[in-house]
Amino acid sequence: MVEFAVSVAAAVLVVALWELAARAGIIAPQFLPSPSRVVVALWTMLTEQNLIWHVAVSTARVWIAFLLAAIMAIPIGIMMSSYRIVGAALEPIIDFIRYLPVPALVPLSIIWFGVGEETKIFLLWLGTFFQLVLLVADDMRRVPQEFVEVARTVGANSRQVMTDVALRWMGPTLLDNLRITLGWCWTYLIIAEIVAADSGIGYVIWTARRFVKTPEVMAGVVVIGLIGLVTDQLLRLLHRRLFRYL
Amino acid sequence: MTNYVQFVDTAKSFGPVNVVRKTSLGLDRNSLVVFLGPSGCGKTTLMRMVGGLDEPSSGSILLGGEKVVRPDRRRGMVFQSYSSFPWLTVEKNIAFGMRYRKDLDAAQKAERIGHYLDLFGLADFAGSYPNRISGGMRQRVAIARTLAAGSDVLLMDEPFGALDALTRERLQVELRQIQIREEKTVIFVTHDVEEAVFLADRIILFSRRPASVVADIDVAAELGPDRPLEIRETQKFFELRNKVLHLIRNETGVVV
Repeated sequence: MVEFAVSVAAAVLVVALWELAARAGIIAPQFLPSPSRVVVALWTMLTEQNLIWHVAVSTARVWIAFLLAAIMAIPIGIMMSSYRIVGAALEPIIDFIRYLPVPALVPLSIIWFGVGEETKIFLLWLGTFFQLVLLVADDMRRVPQEFVEVARTVGANSRQVMTDVALRWMGPTLLDNLRITLGWCWTYLIIAEIVAADSGIGYVIWTARRFVKTPEVMAGVVVIGLIGLVTDQLLRLLHRRLFRYL
Repeated sequence: MTNYVQFVDTAKSFGPVNVVRKTSLGLDRNSLVVFLGPSGCGKTTLMRMVGGLDEPSSGSILLGGEKVVRPDRRRGMVFQSYSSFPWLTVEKNIAFGMRYRKDLDAAQKAERIGHYLDLFGLADFAGSYPNRISGGMRQRVAIARTLAAGSDVLLMDEPFGALDALTRERLQVELRQIQIREEKTVIFVTHDVEEAVFLADRIILFSRRPASVVADIDVAAELGPDRPLEIRETQKFFELRNKVLHLIRNETGVVV
């Protein structure tokens, strides 16, 4: 409860300082509008510019890309650490792609997938999958050898060792890694939604930028932050519920 | 049964490193045999080969005349690190030992769980997770799980090494009693001379790496099967402990 109060107080303090700095004219409003102007812009966007629809579209894109990345990264990451040969084959390729900046791949993705939804999902997936797969592989490598050997000596076969021991042991860190990479997925949203988009928060922010509507740009950024905050808290709650033994 | 566990010209190397010299040895059924030797001498490797977790580079290991080729529930391991599964309660950890046994029905499994919960004094903690119980209790859970699995041979790799002195003493007494009551064969690895003398029916003393047998001491003949805590204060115990210490110094060149 004290921690929650401190978190709220810190957020209020930051917003208050921001408001004060903006009102005192320390920062020009076209660069950093005051929080009150951002709130007004946010209200206008909600009531007149269909912001909820754009939020829903962005959320759907992020989750589709993220789930695709997770569905692929979990088994591939496990295979990479379970079979040295698979790890040796994939790890250099994944490391190479992981360091490529996603914006650099926008032209290629347009050539490959056109300007439709596929490109947006692909770019979000790209920013998530290659990070997650290595995190999963590392988690798998950290499964205590004693646990595996205990299971083998009580008669578990390889599949049972995987399902009854390795995955159970990995559960908490896996969920943590999913939570972290979901956050990364959101950070690629703007890049994904500037590619011939006509919907999504990224599109809204990008359009507002063109007309130097800084309060609307800030409002869009704040919305992404709030979605991130709520999602993160929900996943933390799920973590506490699922892994009560920690 | 004599020579229930047999090392037949067993040797082990890891790449160019020779860990265990060609060793031939027989261990009796229902006895507690301590593998004693300096740290890193290869005694754990020998025990892991009995468990089927490592394969001999040459020679073989027989259990009841049958060659050991892979791990199975007849030979259960107890490690120094707490190997109770953190996501399972004490009761479910013990049940895990029988998870893959098809020869027991649910009622029989429940009965065995109850038996081992009582035997190890864990009944009051049946619903607790391992992070809520002490290190000593976690090791009790690990031993109970191995016994519940139906292991005939317990392979214990310095299982009390991480415990405080009092808990360690108590568990040593309990292990002796349970080993006799449950009629189990125990191979116990340690580098603690006092622990070895207190627990063992027989001590096999190994040289520095590559391990080879340098002495075979019949402790049961000297101390008998019953080992109350007070035995540690007897002249006989002292003499035997000193004898083993001298053997280690003379035979392995190691000062303990």
